[in-house]
Amino acid sequence: MTTATGLADARLRKKAKREGILQQAWTRRADYLYVLPAILVMLVVIAYPIYYTVDLSFFNTPPGLQLRDKVFVGLNNYVVILGSDVVWRVTVNTVIWTFFSTVFSFALGLGSALALHRDFAGRGVMRAILIIPWVVSAVAASYIWKWIYHSDFGVIGAVLVGLGLAAHPPNFIDSVSTVLPSLIVVNVWREFPFAMIMLMAGLQTVPEQLLRAAKVDGASAWQRFWHVTFPHLRGVSTVTILLLAVSNFNSFIIPWIMTGGGPSNASHIWITHIYELAFGRQRWGIASAYSVLLFLILMSLGYFYVRALSSGDRKERGA
Amino acid sequence: MTRIPLAGTVLRGAVSTALIASLMSVSARAAPPVDVSKWSSEYVRSIAGTKDFDTAADCAKVTPLDYKGRLTFWYQGVFEGDPDLLRQYYKDFFATFRKTYPNIQLEEQALTYNDLLDKFRTALLGNAGPMVVRLQILGGVEFASKGYLQELKPEDVGYSTEDFWPGAMKSDTWKSKTYGIPTNNETMAFIWNADVFKRAGLDPEKAPATWDDVVKYSKQIHDKLGISGYGLVARKNAGNTPYRFLPQLWGYGGGVFDEATQHPTYGQIELNSAASKQALQASYDMYVRDKSVPVSALTNQQADNQPLFLAGQLGMMISHPSDYDVMQDLKKKATGSDLLKAQTAIDNMRYGLIPTGPDGKRAVVFGGSNIHILKPEYVDGGKVDQAAAKALICFWTGPEWSLKMAYAGSNPGNLNGFKTKWMKERLETTKFLDVSTSMLPYGVPFPAIPETPEIMNIVVPDMLQNALTGTMTVNQAAEDAAKKVKSIMTGGSL
Repeated sequence: MTTATGLADARLRKKAKREGILQQAWTRRADYLYVLPAILVMLVVIAYPIYYTVDLSFFNTPPGLQLRDKVFVGLNNYVVILGSDVVWRVTVNTVIWTFFSTVFSFALGLGSALALHRDFAGRGVMRAILIIPWVVSAVAASYIWKWIYHSDFGVIGAVLVGLGLAAHPPNFIDSVSTVLPSLIVVNVWREFPFAMIMLMAGLQTVPEQLLRAAKVDGASAWQRFWHVTFPHLRGVSTVTILLLAVSNFNSFIIPWIMTGGGPSNASHIWITHIYELAFGRQRWGIASAYSVLLFLILMSLGYFYVRALSSGDRKERGA
Repeated sequence: MTRIPLAGTVLRGAVSTALIASLMSVSARAAPPVDVSKWSSEYVRSIAGTKDFDTAADCAKVTPLDYKGRLTFWYQGVFEGDPDLLRQYYKDFFATFRKTYPNIQLEEQALTYNDLLDKFRTALLGNAGPMVVRLQILGGVEFASKGYLQELKPEDVGYSTEDFWPGAMKSDTWKSKTYGIPTNNETMAFIWNADVFKRAGLDPEKAPATWDDVVKYSKQIHDKLGISGYGLVARKNAGNTPYRFLPQLWGYGGGVFDEATQHPTYGQIELNSAASKQALQASYDMYVRDKSVPVSALTNQQADNQPLFLAGQLGMMISHPSDYDVMQDLKKKATGSDLLKAQTAIDNMRYGLIPTGPDGKRAVVFGGSNIHILKPEYVDGGKVDQAAAKALICFWTGPEWSLKMAYAGSNPGNLNGFKTKWMKERLETTKFLDVSTSMLPYGVPFPAIPETPEIMNIVVPDMLQNALTGTMTVNQAAEDAAKKVKSIMTGGSL
């Protein structure tokens, strides 16, 4: 009896809620019309490819057959991926690549933002200079860095040998142990200006009077940063880190152009591996299964990103 | 007048059957084919400049010169490693075609060797391919086997099958049907710097006779001069890698399958044979044991070896005769002491035959490109302008342009190109061309199977990288590669 009443109540609440949503939708129908074209475009250019990728991930696509002759294999591609030795190696590479690229880009961006937040002569010029790596095309940057790192006649090697600091040019990208850290350095160099810009914007929101009051109270520079500045940067930091993480997880240009995932697959990350499977080996089915898994990982990061943004909105409304 | 020596050749020749077939064909030219059995640099010189061809008149018989139409065309064009001379010929070709066929609206798109396959495959998935495509020699069978290409043989554009190298025609053949026409064919040669050899205590005028000698010479050059001996290339997804490793693999008596034999069946995987492992061991010895090759070999392409060679920092490499022109182009950018070094390297550049294996076996990749027409359903717009397509193909694969478009880096696909006045001019102006043409009879085509691009561009470089980085032993790397080839051939998972 109690249960029946409870269920009935729940149904009533659901109905009321549904009516509420419908009512709201009707009231805001003009808003929906405004965003309708964008939604339609997204359905075509995003939703359909996602659907097609998911669909393709259930098929085997032998390289000797056309795609239309694909063979349904159910979840087999996912089983193959999870049982493959390569996937674990590529995953470890991807985690290392994403984690260190994100952490170092953020740390360097934060340091630069704090330095440039202070007033000094030439600050504008310094800002412009530091933004250059982010503005430079990733393709051009990759080729330049390839020559800087070149294991036989690269710039770094020539300088070190010229100064007598090394007998031979160091091996940066032709060694399985140094290739990934070397690529991470390039990625951090390219990405830290983005973190710097975001955090510089965040620093504008730190109330000046709070910093002055803390100074008057005898707080050290570190204490002022940790207890006043950093809490104000928490929101923008979360968003920046999430955006960097998503971008790094998806990063293709630098590893592909500089090493093509080599040597011996030591710099293959998920996205380059997927590209090679699809376009180099024509294993569209298995590449699609990889893509679906990558999509799920990125969507979960996206969820946290949206949550971080919404929490900012909620705080603003609360204030 | 020009037929007399050729008729004599044919009467003497071992390919009389081919001649009869050629003469009996409906070819617009009906020119007797070159006698491949007599192939030598002397023979090539003897036939050069013995016949004139009128490309416009010949192609007019295939497609009238006032034909009005539209054609989309993708091709493997010039890239960073090619000489400026070749760029000019490409410009000249399209200008001449447009002038000859003013009413054909040609929309051409050049792509580099390494990008073309990826882009073409992707376009085909969306039925957005071009009407005509010129692909690297290892690509044709893949697309023919999948049904993307129309049947196309030399006779369709006024030539005879006998006008082309049999090995090249094989790369256009799938299940006894022909799907394309060769535009150019090439075999590379062995290049060395005589000055480097001399300073390293080697005979400056003598190329290493065997691959074992290459390993020894490379070490000697490195030990004595502190520079790289041999220009090893082991980059993944780059055509340069199989083109340089397979001659070594075949020389030692190995192979991916039995492709280096007279009648290959591709039934048995040979990458893990003792001979194949010996070839891989030679690369390992140079890279790991002796450290006598560029450290950057794992990320290098041949284009990266060229400046090293020009700077006198590399003793030996495998490449085209066009590298001589490339060196001249690169020299123009050098100044001061660099200019002197460049001039020294060019003056001391020597070409020789590719070394043999321990049993005297000499082999080189029979490379080149083929031109194909796509089926309408895979073309952007769903239509193929057959007449316009044949006009372009006739133009490119004819004796004149198949020679000019291969002027510095390759050889004409149409064997009649060797008889033209431009071939004579080429022999007089292109240094070391003799060596490259002499290598043609040693050419081994890549396996004519759809899986070849994946095997050559991914599995073979992976094998090399696994061994050279120490990720696997030579034995493990060869076994791993053989396993991957087996998996690919049986359509298994990765």
